[in-house]
Amino acid sequence: MATFVATLTKRKTAVSTGVSIPVVALLVAGAVFLLIGCLSSEIFAQQTVSGLADGAIFGLLALALVLIYRATEVVNFAQGEMAMATTYFAYQLTQWHLTYWLAFVLTLAFAFVFGVLVQVAFIRPVQHKSVIAVVIVTVGLFILIDGVVTWIWGADLKFMAAPFGNNVYTLSGVAFSRLDIGVFLVCIASMVLLWLLFQYTKLGLAMRASALRPSSAALVGVRVDRMLAVGWGLAAVLGAVAGMMTEPKQFVLQPPLMQPILLYAFAAAVLGGLESPFGAVVGGLTLGVFLNLIGQYVGFATSELRLPIAFAVLLFVLVLKPTGLFGRRQVRRV
Amino acid sequence: MSMRRAGAPAVAAAVAALLCVLPFLLDGYHQGIASAVGIYFVAILGLNILTGYTGQISIGHGAFMAIGGYTTVILSHDHHTNLIATLPAAAALTFVCGVAVGIPALRLSGVYLALATFALAVSVPQLPLKFSKFLGGSNGLQTDHTVSHLWLYAVSWACAALGFVLGWLLLRGRIGRAFRAVRDSELAAASSGVSLPIYKTLAFGVSAAYAGVAGSLFVLWTNGFAQPNEFEILLSLKILIGAAVAGLGSLWGVAVGAIFIGLLPQLSASVPLIGPAHGQDVVFGFVVILIMLVLPNGFAGLLWRVRAAIKTRPGTS
Amino acid sequence: MGRWGRFLAALTGAATVAAVAVTAAMGGHSATPGVTAKQITIGGTFPLTGIASLYKTIPTAENAYFQYVNDHGGVNGRKINFLIRDDSYDPTKTVPLATQLVEQDHVFAIFGSLGTVPGLSTWGYLNAHKVPQVEVATGDSFWGFCAFKSCDGGKKPWTIGYQPDYPGESKLYGQYISQNFPNAKIGVLYQNDSFGKNYYAGLRIGLGARKENIVSAQSYDPSQTTPSQQVIALKAAGANILVIFALPQQTIGALVTATKIGWHPDATILSNVSANTVFLKLAAANGADVNGVISTNYVNYATTVDANTPGAKLAKAIIAKYAPSLDLNDGNVEYGLGAAWMFVYALQHAGKNPTRASLEKALHSLNVADPFLYPGIKLQTSKTDNFPVEQLIFEKWNGGATGQWQPFGKLYNHLR
Repeated sequence: MATFVATLTKRKTAVSTGVSIPVVALLVAGAVFLLIGCLSSEIFAQQTVSGLADGAIFGLLALALVLIYRATEVVNFAQGEMAMATTYFAYQLTQWHLTYWLAFVLTLAFAFVFGVLVQVAFIRPVQHKSVIAVVIVTVGLFILIDGVVTWIWGADLKFMAAPFGNNVYTLSGVAFSRLDIGVFLVCIASMVLLWLLFQYTKLGLAMRASALRPSSAALVGVRVDRMLAVGWGLAAVLGAVAGMMTEPKQFVLQPPLMQPILLYAFAAAVLGGLESPFGAVVGGLTLGVFLNLIGQYVGFATSELRLPIAFAVLLFVLVLKPTGLFGRRQVRRV
Repeated sequence: MSMRRAGAPAVAAAVAALLCVLPFLLDGYHQGIASAVGIYFVAILGLNILTGYTGQISIGHGAFMAIGGYTTVILSHDHHTNLIATLPAAAALTFVCGVAVGIPALRLSGVYLALATFALAVSVPQLPLKFSKFLGGSNGLQTDHTVSHLWLYAVSWACAALGFVLGWLLLRGRIGRAFRAVRDSELAAASSGVSLPIYKTLAFGVSAAYAGVAGSLFVLWTNGFAQPNEFEILLSLKILIGAAVAGLGSLWGVAVGAIFIGLLPQLSASVPLIGPAHGQDVVFGFVVILIMLVLPNGFAGLLWRVRAAIKTRPGTS
Repeated sequence: MGRWGRFLAALTGAATVAAVAVTAAMGGHSATPGVTAKQITIGGTFPLTGIASLYKTIPTAENAYFQYVNDHGGVNGRKINFLIRDDSYDPTKTVPLATQLVEQDHVFAIFGSLGTVPGLSTWGYLNAHKVPQVEVATGDSFWGFCAFKSCDGGKKPWTIGYQPDYPGESKLYGQYISQNFPNAKIGVLYQNDSFGKNYYAGLRIGLGARKENIVSAQSYDPSQTTPSQQVIALKAAGANILVIFALPQQTIGALVTATKIGWHPDATILSNVSANTVFLKLAAANGADVNGVISTNYVNYATTVDANTPGAKLAKAIIAKYAPSLDLNDGNVEYGLGAAWMFVYALQHAGKNPTRASLEKALHSLNVADPFLYPGIKLQTSKTDNFPVEQLIFEKWNGGATGQWQPFGKLYNHLR
């Protein structure tokens, strides 16, 4: 089975290489620009570092969105709220006197089960019936999860222990906090682990096959339904990581925790390409840095425009290259 | 659903009579709720024309409502325009905006269009904060006078009725057929001579105009106060929910969709055990999901199935 | 009519019956709404959920005081029934809730509703219906001066605020900086709505000629939970005084970011909205250097500095009995107690059978010390003064995570 599935997936990737030359050139130019800027101005460097830290969170949540979209072609409006709910679970574990990292791991397990349950109970019944119905179900989930969390824990501010401590390291005038470094590393690690899962494990192979050619995959014995549920479970795990990394950056835990993050994550996911996990992370980091630099150097770009600018980026990408930086161009066959 | 049956005008008359009598049976607070239902009716009708009849998904109708609402407030606040006269102005402006959005939207479809309209819904309400001198900023703007509950009820439902009739006239004719052709298969429609750019942008414009009027009424419902917080993304999502519950591609379910999003939050606030602070979200979210699981094609889909069941019952003519 | 038509007609009939069933009982109400022989009903809208839910302790504290009053005979034999409604700081919820309170629950007055935007969405309606809009819980100045001049289409004589207004407070900060740091380079972080902008405007007025010393003023949008980009920019502009006009979450974020990027301003000034003990401790726990941070205060901190005043002791007793879940380190709790105290006092002086007009008269003839306010601060209103609290005391945070607010200097009077 594995070889057959492998040939299916290999064929698709051989046809269209995900990364095109202009995009690579653009990214290299951008990286060079950032490097030069950081070396010449301390403030530029500080804004970039801070932007990377914010962008890592956008990238994590965007990764979850992309995972679900790739597997099931569903845009999950409830991704942020699911991430928030799992963060509250972690909070509750710490309230029961578990250490932070033990609570972290247990929360990941809980998130996986939660994601699978959501897919099986709410998404699977409507998945093939109506596109709008699936969208509405995720919107309903958004509202429901927010309500349930507020019901169980209340809307007042909650406080969690800081996972990485408060130390700050300074390098030629630019401050790197342990929190920001930790968040960034966790984000990259998540992306790498996900990639390894997809490339080198049987499960990952089966998941990719289910996403690309569900009927063919079913023919060779892949339980497509199960793979979709696993996809949702993994996305929920990524969301949980995003939530638990967001909370220390916001200092307090309250139900609207992930709502602004979700918006930026959408922009990041579109920027990177809705079907590309690598794109999601690059998109997130790019967006974080871009917003900080624009805010610093462009006078007109005051704080009211921060969200509109992120969405202007989204619209710009949609108009120019809807599949994003790393997405493959879809060809519609008649 | 055709209106060829003789029963339909009788039903329409019955509904119209009910609507005329209703406000006199209700107190001011409930008149306000009934007005809200009428306002959502107009908005959902507009969204249905776009998404239900031409298949273009929009999660951005809150943005058009914001434009319509602010038009009314600015005209009233700065120029003391008669409030009813601001409605066609709002409709005209939002029609133009809708067409302006529809043109680049031609390149997008499905989820990409949904995300693009989502971007609009999030960004447009920030504009009054940026251009606060003209648009009131975070303190918002107010109309030069407020209206009574009865006035608002009458105007909202008059707009709803007018919108329904106009929509029905639009959709039964050539334009409606072209819309449906676009929805069912763009390729087939194009190859049979339907001009995609014209009909798709027309649908966007018309749909936006409905949302604009709904937005004006919405601001009047909020005591004549227009402020960015009123047009947050949840409003666009509520309209979409209403359209889905109504059932896309049919005008008859729109009333049910409007009643659903107009009344359910109020009713679910008084659910015991959960409590008013959370009841709204928990019950509303749960019911929305349940309805989509049970009736993925909305109320119109249900009517269809009931109608089919009645017709095929043994012993009927 | 075909079968299908009959079905639809039946549906319509059912809808009619349902609609009539939904009709609210239009029972008769007494001459003064909300006042019966045994009870006075008041109501208010508060953000119990949503982004501003950190203020939900205020109505709980207010209700605790009302329950205490009820247990001691009420006001002229009437118990206070306080209806607390959740509007999530969303004006589209505030409007129907306020309408419901007035037209269905027939409240005597709208009390304590929180938020500028929710307040603005209802003040036209309430003033048109002559419903008292008492002690709106925000520091914008228009609750005060729009009783006398026309705002948004008319005067608002039925509206009154409570706390010292933001521009009045920040004027003091401007004066303080002028006197103590005449050559400072000032950096200001402010929220980009009327809350922040009013504060910023007041600061400039207070600075007078020295407003040229503001080297950078950065605004942030409420949707941005940590304004790190703006704090970095302020440091880059060379500021050595940091003024933060932000809500608690962003205040904490700004303090932490400043310390993280190695910026130790000569003075850091906070708006008193965010100068809660709870938030300072949280900032310190996350690495912020909060020693010496300055703000102002008008409530009586029942836990620390003024623990021996009668007001502090009463606050402790009331909270222990009626709202034990509240934390007296949260200044909002003292705020709620003080606001409720003012309402009860006005009600007691509104006559044996209060009317809305007599309540307003009582509210506009206050000259009394509220025990839950900082000692020496009086509630003062008159026919021409619609600002109940116009006094502030400066305070400085001494210590880090285990520090506390220490008042210093004299009581500032007549902010306006």
